[in-house]
Amino acid sequence: MEELQELLKTYPANRHSLLRILQAAQRQMGYLPGEALREVASYVGVSPAEVYGVATFYNQFRFIPYGTHHTVVCLGTACHAMGGQLILDAFERELDIKAGEITPDHEWSLDRVGCIGCCTKAPVVVMNDAINAKMTPFKVEEVLAGLGLQLKRSTDSEGEEAGEREPQ
Amino acid sequence: MKKQVKGNLNDLRQGAHNTWEELETSALTVRIGTPTCGRAAGSLDTLQTFRERIAKEGAEAHLIEVGCMGLCFAEPLVMINNPESGLPPILYGPITYEHVQRLVEGFVLGDDPCLELALGTVEFKEDGTPYIPEMPRFEIEERLILRNCGYIDPLNIEHYLARGGYLTLQQVLQTEPEKVVSEVEQARLRGRGGAGFPTATKWKLCRQMEKEPKYIICNADEGDPGAFMDRVVLESDPHSVIEGMVIAAHAIGASRGFVYTRAEYPLVMERLKVALAQAREIGVLGDAILGSGFNFDIELVGGAGAFACGEETAMIASIEGQRGMPRPRPPYPAVYGLFGEPTVVDNVKTFALVQRILEQGGEWFSRIGTPNSTGTAVFALAGRVEQIGLVEVPMGTTLREVIYDVGGGIPEGRQFKAVQIGGPAGGCLSESSLDLPVDYDSLKEAGAIMGSGGMVVLDESNCMVETARFFVDFLARECCGKCTMGRLGVKQMLLILADFVKGEGDEEDLDLLEKLAEDIGQGCLCHLGGSAANPVLTTLRYFRDEYEAHVKEKRCPALVCKELITYYVVPEKCERACDHCVLTCPTEAIVTDERTRLKKVLQDKCVKCGTCLDVCPPEYSAVIKVSPPEKVKELEEAAGG
Amino acid sequence: MAEPVTEKATVELTIDGKRVRAEQGEKILWAALAEGIAIPHLCAIKEAEPPLGTCRLCLVEVEGQGVVASCVESVREGMVVHTDGERAVALRRRAMELLLADHPLECKDCPKKGKCDFLQLSIAMKVKRPKNYRPFPREELPVDASHPRIIFDPNKCIRCGRCVWVCKERVGEVPFDFIQKGYEMRLTTFMDKPLGESDCTGCGECVEVCPVAALCFKEGG
Repeated sequence: MEELQELLKTYPANRHSLLRILQAAQRQMGYLPGEALREVASYVGVSPAEVYGVATFYNQFRFIPYGTHHTVVCLGTACHAMGGQLILDAFERELDIKAGEITPDHEWSLDRVGCIGCCTKAPVVVMNDAINAKMTPFKVEEVLAGLGLQLKRSTDSEGEEAGEREPQ
Repeated sequence: MKKQVKGNLNDLRQGAHNTWEELETSALTVRIGTPTCGRAAGSLDTLQTFRERIAKEGAEAHLIEVGCMGLCFAEPLVMINNPESGLPPILYGPITYEHVQRLVEGFVLGDDPCLELALGTVEFKEDGTPYIPEMPRFEIEERLILRNCGYIDPLNIEHYLARGGYLTLQQVLQTEPEKVVSEVEQARLRGRGGAGFPTATKWKLCRQMEKEPKYIICNADEGDPGAFMDRVVLESDPHSVIEGMVIAAHAIGASRGFVYTRAEYPLVMERLKVALAQAREIGVLGDAILGSGFNFDIELVGGAGAFACGEETAMIASIEGQRGMPRPRPPYPAVYGLFGEPTVVDNVKTFALVQRILEQGGEWFSRIGTPNSTGTAVFALAGRVEQIGLVEVPMGTTLREVIYDVGGGIPEGRQFKAVQIGGPAGGCLSESSLDLPVDYDSLKEAGAIMGSGGMVVLDESNCMVETARFFVDFLARECCGKCTMGRLGVKQMLLILADFVKGEGDEEDLDLLEKLAEDIGQGCLCHLGGSAANPVLTTLRYFRDEYEAHVKEKRCPALVCKELITYYVVPEKCERACDHCVLTCPTEAIVTDERTRLKKVLQDKCVKCGTCLDVCPPEYSAVIKVSPPEKVKELEEAAGG
Repeated sequence: MAEPVTEKATVELTIDGKRVRAEQGEKILWAALAEGIAIPHLCAIKEAEPPLGTCRLCLVEVEGQGVVASCVESVREGMVVHTDGERAVALRRRAMELLLADHPLECKDCPKKGKCDFLQLSIAMKVKRPKNYRPFPREELPVDASHPRIIFDPNKCIRCGRCVWVCKERVGEVPFDFIQKGYEMRLTTFMDKPLGESDCTGCGECVEVCPVAALCFKEGG
């Protein structure tokens, strides 16, 4: 919180700075914990409830931390038309969390976004700030496995699968 | 603070011009497009590889990072000008890092133009706008806003100056503000943000207000999914927008300006920051602009992810640090705007056009386009179309020309189904509308809106009911929630549509949906919420048969709606030994028959992700989708019997 | 904002065929009510500027202009207003239907029983909870009785915004505000903490303006 105090001093203490302060605070901390919101509220001179109301209006602000690997699936018009929902489904299926959630081990977090303006590369996914273009459900598995995730089907039932598939 | 006087700007421009001329005529230049979309295609790798190769070879070549030329389908784009070869500049794409070696050896070090990688040669119109004669689209396009995009280095103000940048501002500062307004009035410029309100009317109203200070806001909160025009303009030619804003500020007497852009556009923020600093340095922004008595500065405001903030009163609330909720109009922002002061809010492209209008004259501008919709329109063409990218055409060009002649038509020989114009709150037009001229009034009549320029093409593989559900879902999440119609009405439409895509509901629900949409359109607090009706009303109007197929037959004609389709492996087509589908299925829903090696989809395990269809080798194309789902039983029986 | 002028200019307009004089800048709603012409309304607060305009129950038709919210639109000289225009009535009914469909039907045990503005207005408008709507999916939220004087039941809230307006205007530091947006927008305290832990003074201004039982005084409180 001391770092936040330092940060606050660099902004004018008024309502007009509220969004910028929240953005900077989130950059610093990765998300906006309750105490930070209280600090910001008292700095700009509005009630914590009002700051909370403002912060929750905007999709950018998070009140839980990111996972080590943060994925954002774009569901803009173009991405949707090119199968973006299937991509989100694939992430939700493999990570076993819904958009807006984080895995219990804090390794993976998942979000959706309205559009990141890369419509010509649809469907796109932003993973750890890098844009992955022209995704498919299969590529999702590849990317996740590449980052060290144990894929469902290789862990769940490799053994029995082999037995089932190759009955000699 | 050092202040540059006017004379200095002329000197600066002359210097920039000389450098530019030299660069153009005698230097070897390699231009690489590195806007956000180019980066997504790997242009930074291309750039890095060029840098390494050129350094290694010790070649004398200037690498220039440019913005977007609009030919996004061919990204990463590279333009090489090798004056010694005697050839005009050549545009290449897509150029990934693997191609760099070939280009360096061929056209940087030698005089082989590597035509197998080329899109075409680059020629220039009288006003310096580059075009590619080999591409038919440039016969239809007219680039007023995109003139510099993809050709100049957006981070180098000298490039902008060399092409006449800020000359118009210098002249404007010598003229009376009224004259500026009347020039815009003569141009009959209508706002490029979507509603098409006459720009000069708004400016006049604001100018007449006897209140100080006045504000200017550049609306760059391009929240429409499927739209990226404003991002491209700001990433590729930020100074043209800044110049337009300063001109507008002079016209209405504003002292402060804001560019409100999206949090999802980090590169826009970065480039604008640089551009604003440069503008201050040369004295076209700040106190006593160009030695005149006029003070104006621009502040960059990063939105925080809220579609509703694209509405002007919501944007104002957001800049004030409030929840981005629209408020009832009147009073209009020109009367009661930011911090309660008179404020003009205009779109990025409007400001870019203001610069062109003051440069070339309102009369010139009014002759482009149609009488009621003058000038050009920029569209972000995306979805199921060959040449995805940015398009700038004179108003009045038909949708057919935009989609087929500029965009190259629908890929893979599929059938055109619809074009979605104007963002989520726009409308879906059918084939019958293809010959419609693109202008504010024609589109409105057809049930769509010009919007800020998103144009997403849909083909036979897109379901219109699902498309409507998608837009309404977006709007239900992203509308501000303030009024009953927006908060609950839009959600009720969504709940009905969510039933339809599952094949639930009846004809009475179709009527209810239509009536709800009409009521929301008329009864909402803001026009943004009201326009949530458009996707529903236009799909009902042009694609009612698809709705009826879902509701009456529980069938999705486009084979999209998950609950209404099943996957099926056609035995006659299946190669049997290949196993691609079996191995890639994420839920092990495809099994092989021990005896016949035929594949069967276990419907209770299948999550309908479509991977099997994607991976089935095209020479077999054995995986198909069928609808309604029961149909698979018939097929299985027929195959088994 | 506007300085009070000693003698306010008036305009003449027609509401439902009746000639009416009203002060310049007055909203249609208040001009009509002053003349005994009823227009349904829930969110309107006369002093609120700009008006809240959230409930959409006060829509009327103005000749040459179409449907407008009467709490938002100012009177003009020669204006002709119809409060019973077909479209306006249909839209008002639609808004009421939507609000009813999103409201828990627990009137029997409701602390506002017998004095609920919302229920009375729905009866006056002859609008019932619609049967053909899809039920709005809402998770039931806990009722907050932590405050010594005020009970906050978020499930009953119709999001008119009167409480927030009045608290911001008269108290300043609001203990609650709307959070999130779209369909998910709801009234709550800072991070859903109990109201009793907030700085709420319990002045009760919010309770006075709440048209439903979202904010009530505790019995004997």
